[in-house]
Amino acid sequence: MTRNVDAGTLLEVRDLRTHFATADGLVKAVDGVSFSIRNGATLGVVGESGCGKSVTALSVMRLIERPGRIVSGTIRFGAQNLTEVSDDEMREIRGNSISMIFQEPMTSLNPVFTCGNQIAEAVSIHGGMSGGEARKRAIEMLAQVGIPDAKRRAEEYPHQLSGGMRQRVMIAMALSTNPELLIADEPTTALDVTIQAQILELMKALRERNRMSIMLITHDLGVIAEMADDVVVMYTGKVVEQSDVNTVYEHPHHPYTRGLLASIPRLGEKRDRLEVIKGVVPNPLNLPAGCLFQRRCPSAMPICDVAPPLQEVAPGHLSRCWLTPAGGPPSVGEDPGTQVALDAAVALSVE
Amino acid sequence: MARSEGLPVPGSRAARPATEIDEVDLVPVRTYWQLVRKRFLQHRLATIALVLMLVLVTASIAVPLIGGDAWFKTSLTHGPKDPSSLAAPLGYDNLGINIFFRLMRGLQTSLTIGFFAVLIIAGLGTTVGSIAGYVGGWVDNVLMRIIDIVLSLPTFFLVLMFVAFMGQGNVFVIIFAIGLTGWTTAARLVRAEFLRLRESDFVQAAKALGASDRRIVIRHMIPSALAPVVVASTLGIADSVVTEAALSFLGFGLRTPEASLGNMLTNAQDYFYRQPLWIWYPGITLILLVLAASFLGDGLRDALDPRQRIEA
Repeated sequence: MTRNVDAGTLLEVRDLRTHFATADGLVKAVDGVSFSIRNGATLGVVGESGCGKSVTALSVMRLIERPGRIVSGTIRFGAQNLTEVSDDEMREIRGNSISMIFQEPMTSLNPVFTCGNQIAEAVSIHGGMSGGEARKRAIEMLAQVGIPDAKRRAEEYPHQLSGGMRQRVMIAMALSTNPELLIADEPTTALDVTIQAQILELMKALRERNRMSIMLITHDLGVIAEMADDVVVMYTGKVVEQSDVNTVYEHPHHPYTRGLLASIPRLGEKRDRLEVIKGVVPNPLNLPAGCLFQRRCPSAMPICDVAPPLQEVAPGHLSRCWLTPAGGPPSVGEDPGTQVALDAAVALSVE
Repeated sequence: MARSEGLPVPGSRAARPATEIDEVDLVPVRTYWQLVRKRFLQHRLATIALVLMLVLVTASIAVPLIGGDAWFKTSLTHGPKDPSSLAAPLGYDNLGINIFFRLMRGLQTSLTIGFFAVLIIAGLGTTVGSIAGYVGGWVDNVLMRIIDIVLSLPTFFLVLMFVAFMGQGNVFVIIFAIGLTGWTTAARLVRAEFLRLRESDFVQAAKALGASDRRIVIRHMIPSALAPVVVASTLGIADSVVTEAALSFLGFGLRTPEASLGNMLTNAQDYFYRQPLWIWYPGITLILLVLAASFLGDGLRDALDPRQRIEA
C-alpha cells in the first residue's frame, strides 16, 4: 500500500503510540497521535504538563528510553519511516535533518566546552569538515543568531553567558547543520519575557532564511499565536483539536481548547480573576472511561461516557468532542451523521 | 560656565558608537585554563603542595642523574661518623653509602611506582566506571558486584599475596599489584558521575545532535567526570607510595641494593638507637610526599571543576 503524501508535507505522523511500562502499570503517554507538518510551516503543539507533548517530540527523534517504547504508528519523514530505520540511519538524521532544542538552556550546554567548540562539535558529527572550517562555521552561526562579538563569545564557556545567550547558542548549534525540521521543546519557557520575544523573533527569521519547518511545543498559547501556522491541542496523550491557527483562536471547538484560551489574560480587559479549567489531568495510570475531559468539562453530557472520535467539525478542523460544529449538544436521531458516529463509538466501546 | 557642548565626555556611554548589544556582559572573558589557574592559586595549601611536589619530583630526577652510582656505592673510607659535608649533606651510612643520594634514589622509585600504579588505577577505574554507568542494566550490576567483592577483600594482604607469588622485589609486579587492587574507588566515582551525567540535559542534547554512544562517552561525559578521577588519582599516588613503603618494610618489596623509601626505613630499624636520624630521613620524605599529593588533589578538584564560579 502506498500512501499519498502530498508534495508539501515534510513530516507525517500517523497513529503514533508511545507507552511506558512503569512499575505501577502501563502509561500511554502518547496514544494514537496523528499530525503532519508542511514544508516551511510551523506546527504548534499545545497542552498542559504531562499531556504527551514532549514524548511526541522525543518519539519523532527516536530518543525514547526504557521503560518507554514506540508501540505502533508511522513517522514519515521524506521517503523514510522513522519508526523503522536502523539506529545508525536514525543517528544520521538526528541533528542533521531534524534538530532539537530544549527547554533548559542553563543545563543543555556541556559545561566543559566553549560555545564555539560545542557548535563545531555539532557540525563535525555530520559533515566532513575540518577543525578550522568547523570553527569558522561556529562563529558564523553565532553571528547569525545575533550574538554580538561572535568571535570572542565563541571562546567563552556556557556559565559565562546569560540564559538568553545560551538559548541562542543552542539554536545556533541546532541550525548549524541546516536541518529541514527544527523541534523546539518549550524553547522560551525558562527565559524572561523580553528575552522570549527576542528568541521567537530569531526563530521566525531563521525559519524564513533557512526554509525549514518548526515543530513548536509549548503550553503558552501566546507563543503559538505568534509563531504557528497549524495547531495541535493535546490532552492525556491524545489530540483533542487540530486546525490552522486562526480557526483555533477564533472558533475553538473543543471545551478544553476554549478553557485554555479563556485562561489567558487579555490586554484592556478588566477581570477580577482569571478563568481556570477546573480539576486536574486524570492519572495516566487510571484513565476514566469515555471522554477523558468530561470531568472537567463545563458542557459534559450523558453521551460523554462514550469516548468521542476525532472528527471533522469544519473543513480542515478536527475535534474530539460530541458537540455539534455549532457548539450545541448533538441532536441524536435527527442528524443521521451523528447517529452513525454514535453507533460506531458505542460499538467500539463495547468491543 | 564654559562647557564645550559637542565634545563627548571621555569614557561616557554617549561617547561610544551605538552598537546593538542586547545583553550587557559583566563577566570579563577568561579562558578555561586562566580560570583553573586562578582558582588553584587561591587555594594556598595546594599552591604550597604544588611547589613541594615539583621540588620532590625534580630532586628525584636530577639528584640520581648527578650522583651516578653513588646511591649504592659502598666505601671503606667513609662511615657514620663523618661530619656532613657538601658532598654528603646527610652523611654516610654504616657501609659508607652516601645517604642523600640513596634517599633521592628511593624517592625516585617510590614516585615511579606511585605514578604508574595511579595510571592503571585511573585507566581501569574510568573504563569500568563509565561502562557500568553508561550501559546500566545487568552490565552495571555485574561490574558493581565485582567491585564489591574486590572491596570486601583486605587490599593490603591481596597486594602482599600477589607480590609474594608473582615475584618479590620486582617493580612492575608491585605496580600491577597496587594498580589491580586500587581501581575500585575510581570506578565507583566515575560510575556515580556517569549516572548523573547520563540524565543530564546536555547529554540528551548531544544525542539529539546525532552523536554516537562512543562520542558521547568520550567527548561529553568523561571530561565532566574527570574531576573526581583526578582527585582520586592524586590521593592514589599517596596511597600507592605508602603501600610500597609498607611492602618493602615487610621485606616483600624492593630489596637492597635497590633503594626505596620503604626499605630505607627497614634498614634504619637496626640503628634505631645509635642513628635515629636514619629513620627520620626517609620517614619525613614519605610524609612530605603524601601530604603534597593530598593537598594537590584537593586544589585540583576545586580548580578543575568548570561548574565552580569563583571569581576574583
